[in-house]
Amino acid sequence: MIMFNGFSHSVMGASHEKTNLVCQDSSAFKVGDHYAVAVVADGHGSKKHFRSHLGSKFAVEATIEAIDRFYEDREALEANLPTNHKLIIKNIEKQIISNWNMKVEKHLAENPVTDEEKSKFTPEEFEAIPPESYYGSTLVAGITGDNYTFGVQIGDGSFVAIFEDGRAVMPMEYNESAPANVTASVCNSNAASMFSSFYAPNRKLIAMYGSTDGLYTSFGSEHDFLDYHTIITSQLVNLDTFKEIIKNNLTKRSRFGTEDDISLSCIYNENLLKDRIDLINKRVAENKKAAADRKAAMLEKKV
Amino acid sequence: MSNEHVTEPEVNETQNVSPLDDFDTAETVSTAPVSDDSILDFDDDPLSATSVSKKSLVIFFLIDTSGSMKGKKMGELNTVMEELIPEIRRVGEADTEVKVAVLTFSTEVRWMYSTPIPIEDFEWARLRASGVTSMGAAFKELNHRMSRNSFLSSPSLSFAPVIFLMTDGYPSDDYKEGLRELQTNSWYKFGLKAALGIGQEANDNILAEFTGSKDTVVHAYSGGQLAQMIKIIAVTSSQIGSKSMTLSDDTNHELGEEDVFAAKQKLLGQQIQELVSTQTDGDDVPFDTGW
Repeated sequence: MIMFNGFSHSVMGASHEKTNLVCQDSSAFKVGDHYAVAVVADGHGSKKHFRSHLGSKFAVEATIEAIDRFYEDREALEANLPTNHKLIIKNIEKQIISNWNMKVEKHLAENPVTDEEKSKFTPEEFEAIPPESYYGSTLVAGITGDNYTFGVQIGDGSFVAIFEDGRAVMPMEYNESAPANVTASVCNSNAASMFSSFYAPNRKLIAMYGSTDGLYTSFGSEHDFLDYHTIITSQLVNLDTFKEIIKNNLTKRSRFGTEDDISLSCIYNENLLKDRIDLINKRVAENKKAAADRKAAMLEKKV
Repeated sequence: MSNEHVTEPEVNETQNVSPLDDFDTAETVSTAPVSDDSILDFDDDPLSATSVSKKSLVIFFLIDTSGSMKGKKMGELNTVMEELIPEIRRVGEADTEVKVAVLTFSTEVRWMYSTPIPIEDFEWARLRASGVTSMGAAFKELNHRMSRNSFLSSPSLSFAPVIFLMTDGYPSDDYKEGLRELQTNSWYKFGLKAALGIGQEANDNILAEFTGSKDTVVHAYSGGQLAQMIKIIAVTSSQIGSKSMTLSDDTNHELGEEDVFAAKQKLLGQQIQELVSTQTDGDDVPFDTGW
């Protein structure tokens, strides 16, 4: 039987410490029966999104609840995925947005906007902000089953997946016109139509990661970003001891990088990882050599 | 049987947040500021193999290496650029990763390195002068490379670049066509632009077309002035370029990015003019009288 496991962690950015903002990111993972979910969300944090730290938390909860609901009849879901994955993923996206809006409405009803929150706007400015915008957030969610993986995303953030060949890849294809690459948000009125998604059938996943953009922007190159995930994967066999190192490294990346909040969520297949650990370690060594070769090539003078 | 294991979405405990009734709290991690620096230092952290990147600033030097630069001009330029690198290195020490890209133009256009180089790794390659002044081709090449798909592909956030043009003569190609292409580039639009004319032949009007303002154009007529001007422009523009600026108007409303970049360009012009006005001519021999 496949055994999934995972971890998730969010750190507050130094820039938010300086401005007395709370951490705008949220993250979670869940291991279910023959499936697992990794989710991160990045609250927008700007003036009109003054409750976005809650919006990101609601986005994470809304996603896990939506996925759980679709997996209530897992066999039917998995029987339909190969032929109807576009429709199923679209319905999951709609369910996430619906769940999120319900959470926002409930919270707002129980916690009306305070005078202090309103005081930062003129009455006209405040009236112009749609209430759901107070809670605006991005969302990155990856789901894996026994031999397939899919992901949904709205707004910026990244996926990295490592399949059986041990190579780290970004499964969400970059598309200049995709709404996920602009400042899309779960709070947009047409949010359900602004997702980007991917579906990778017939491939066993070793590990998948979702992260908010604070992690990606702490790297000098995409190669380094991918190599980082391969290194983490090589250490997942000792997750209990390695977890602290990951947390500290995320803190270091935030503090010495772009000072943004950072969230990382991971799900992985414990059995397959143990089986392929030698391959993963080989990839780590290959990546290290390739990085040294790239640096040597970069420093070669052309004139 | 389901093996449910859910981490609580992480929230700051000082906020008034409803409990997550449906979530098993497997672990709660404090996101409080970390005060003990010692936890950030590991000898055994395998993740340290991938370095942390700060916000970056790329300084583009566009250097005329046509035949008229031969001799003292190119010799002086090579010397001052070698001296300049440690000074720019100091600009980036705190919060900014400064990178340098050098594009030379004569009959051909050529990059000194195939990608912008972090200032701590950068070594000046002494340039030689020959050929004609293909400034328009240099503008086109800069436009091509100043892109997220090329020289500015680093995931880390970037300040708008500094673009510093140095030339001693009139372009031999259609510089206007190249400039028109370059002017469509957002990095150029928001970048800090400065230019240095070397000797009598350099046309300040063309240079002002490139920078968008006469304030950011200076002229050097001698070796001593060349050294002074290059240092003034490169260091001042790097300092301003790597400065995080937020602006607010009289009503305390935040202004847009375009206003910030316009303010930076204006500040650069002011500072360059102030610094230039304090420079002395000394006993330098002009380039155009016997060097």
